[in-house]
Amino acid sequence: MAGLAAAFGSGAMTNSIPELDDADAFLVIGSNTTEQHPLIAARIIEAVRRKNARLVVADPRRIGLAKLATVHLGHRVGTDAALLNGMMHIILENGWEDDGFIQERTENIDALKKIVTAYPPKKVAGLCGVDEEILRKAAELYARSEKAMILYAMGITQHITGTDNVKTLANLAMLTGHVGFPSTGVNPLRGQNNVQGACDMGALPNVYTGYQRVNDEAVTRKFEEAWGTEGLSREPGLTVTEMVHGAETGEVQALYVLGENPVVSDPDARHAARALKKLDFLVVQDIFMTETARYAHVILPALSFAEKAGTFTNTERRVQVSGQAMPPVKGCVEEWKVFCEIATRAGYPMSYESPEKILDEINAVTPSYRGITWKRLESSWGLPWPCPDESHPGTPFLHKNRFARGLGHFDPREYIPSAEIPDEEYPFVLTTGRVGPQFHTGTMTRKVSILEREAPRSLLEINPEDARHLRIREGNVVAVESRRGELRLLVHVTPDVPEGSVFGTFHYSEGNINELTICALDPVAKIPEYKSCAVSIRRI
Amino acid sequence: MKILAKEKVQCLLGKMNRETRVYCPQRAENGDLLLLPLGDGIYTDELGKTPLSAKTVLFPQGEDILLIEKERILKITDEEEVVVFGVRPCDMRAIAFTDRFMMRDNLVDPNYSARRNAMTCIVVACKEPPSETCFCKATGGELFLTDTPHDVQLFDAGSYFIAIAGSDKGKGILGNGHFESATADDVEKLEALKEKASHAGMATNGVQSASEKLLANEVDDLFWGHLAERCIKCGGCVYVCPTCTCFNVHDYPGESGYFRCRSWDACLFSGFTRETSGHNPRPTQGARLARRHEHKLKFDLMNYHEIGCVGCGRCSDACPVGLGAIEIIDEMNKAQESRKT
Repeated sequence: MAGLAAAFGSGAMTNSIPELDDADAFLVIGSNTTEQHPLIAARIIEAVRRKNARLVVADPRRIGLAKLATVHLGHRVGTDAALLNGMMHIILENGWEDDGFIQERTENIDALKKIVTAYPPKKVAGLCGVDEEILRKAAELYARSEKAMILYAMGITQHITGTDNVKTLANLAMLTGHVGFPSTGVNPLRGQNNVQGACDMGALPNVYTGYQRVNDEAVTRKFEEAWGTEGLSREPGLTVTEMVHGAETGEVQALYVLGENPVVSDPDARHAARALKKLDFLVVQDIFMTETARYAHVILPALSFAEKAGTFTNTERRVQVSGQAMPPVKGCVEEWKVFCEIATRAGYPMSYESPEKILDEINAVTPSYRGITWKRLESSWGLPWPCPDESHPGTPFLHKNRFARGLGHFDPREYIPSAEIPDEEYPFVLTTGRVGPQFHTGTMTRKVSILEREAPRSLLEINPEDARHLRIREGNVVAVESRRGELRLLVHVTPDVPEGSVFGTFHYSEGNINELTICALDPVAKIPEYKSCAVSIRRI
Repeated sequence: MKILAKEKVQCLLGKMNRETRVYCPQRAENGDLLLLPLGDGIYTDELGKTPLSAKTVLFPQGEDILLIEKERILKITDEEEVVVFGVRPCDMRAIAFTDRFMMRDNLVDPNYSARRNAMTCIVVACKEPPSETCFCKATGGELFLTDTPHDVQLFDAGSYFIAIAGSDKGKGILGNGHFESATADDVEKLEALKEKASHAGMATNGVQSASEKLLANEVDDLFWGHLAERCIKCGGCVYVCPTCTCFNVHDYPGESGYFRCRSWDACLFSGFTRETSGHNPRPTQGARLARRHEHKLKFDLMNYHEIGCVGCGRCSDACPVGLGAIEIIDEMNKAQESRKT
């Protein structure tokens, strides 16, 4: 998000979901779309099938979409920036860039040209482990299609170079004039139904609602006035990974965790659990008992989506109202009422009549949400922000005629290898992800019998060649070890994982791949490098 | 034979609803046309083709079937009298099909049969196919019922319905004051309506040839493997199918004990056929897709001399990646043609 915001001025999907139907080409990178966003994948599949849209899939694994792709770039884990710089090199070499767009809409093109010169196809093919011809083909398909959409997800962001990777993608889109038009843009697919909404509401360390910065004096004054208080902090706070680190060092003494399960989902998870134990006070609020809640001093109940009313903002920035379908389970109340009560007892009387009144306040203090009123949401299928006033129809695609920040900014980035590279001791690259039937740490999906039946176990996926060398077969148990820990996992042998790499998921507390992952952070976004670390595999 | 003025339908439904629960197609709050208990939406005379068939009344998506307490196990069945108005002929054929399976001589499903025995079906014949995915005629049906058991069948004659009872229950309904006597003209009109309906165009005519191809084992794994590459494994085609009756059970805690709940299952899920050992006789999505369509078009034909598809086209409506019966049947026939040349 930080990377896209730096390039365009806004860190969200630039297009709406229905626009996928009319695209001529897709570049899908770091997104296992059929598993994680199946209905978005369905639109891509249909555009390919019905309209012969071109599909370029860049993913180390032969994921579902790769099987339908015009071109599959099976590049090495963590070489995304090199791959994309290589594509831009080819584009410039062939004159496929959009000069008009670059001149009118962007700045700093010379710096980009300078850096990508150093990424000739042959070198990139070697670095990334892809065929040079396939790389050329991918660059051509993307650059020379009229309406081309990039879709990406955690596969490129969960690296120490996550922000760089996103900036590089933005560079590619600007270079070819592929942003700011219908069915043409750069689209981060968000992983939860409301993670976009949580970010929009300022559940980030450095911003208030609508990405208004806490270190902007005028912004913070505005919020002080709106809330009738003073002395709000002008300093950005800590990110999640920094908080856990702070718990370890003692910088953080108390933590209030809502709907998260860091004991399973944090990188180097055993370390995270040790850190939480050191806290003076831990509050966990969730709908079910979680591994993290076992460490809590206080557990507060929460409500599922069906038990409460409010709004969700989905991946295409669409704010939708959701009604209460059933009364809360006995003894549970709406989370916002809990927050109000805590604030009141802490000395700041806070109360609202209803979620509608909360949205009124959001409308008042958030320019991009100003026109998204409860009344309008109730009589529509939602509104995509920015929506500056009540007569505004919402904005399906961003950056039309002008980027949110004015000119699009080329910020060329060099390829930097992952923090931990395989060596003799730990010869395999472990990359992690998810499977369709399970959601995150499984606190909800593992309680649904058919979903759990679909994916009941934590598996380690390995290439048949590697399996042969290690003398292991489908269904064997292996010891997987990294510098952080060791796990015993069942093996699934599949050619969909490239040689030298293995794949695991973090859905299962009893075989949690995050006990192996590394807590190396992207310096800007502080996102951990879940997608790459070195492991050894032992037959047992 | 009787007639029923369209303007009296709502009044009739309201009257019946006072004694038994009435389901009929209604507009829900969000604008969708759904089969709902009367009053849960707005009745608009429009019957169309609801996304879910009348199967959902007999065999709901999820239902508690047992209560397991410390000292005893209680069977939970629902025997409430229900009238379903606006059942489409294809859906009635589907119910006749599932009856045969769920109420076999020695293996009666108590929940299904309790509801079925308490259910009255008022079928409304289609004047024309209600959607562009209809292909009932290609599966041996018509836009009206010929010999499928039902209670009442209504034919749309413009401002009124021509009503014919198909059972004693149906005769009882026709005795209701809302129905009026038919005239000799109506007999002629009915024949004309049937004649016209029998010429309706269908979304596909290739069911029989696809079925023959499956019987002759001419469809190979490559064909299914290729199609399955685009399946997103949502199970939607199974859930909307009026003849699919597979379910799974799970237990959950209640106040006095544990409830055993059954809910719809789908043969397109990998866990559906996976055995405890881990072995899966249908190991790939292609094999599962093949299994589903072979069941409908081949094995049902072998076992019951009738295919297990009524041509409602709901799977083609629901599938986001074009893997409904229509598309699969057409691709099967196309594959056959291309191989011949």
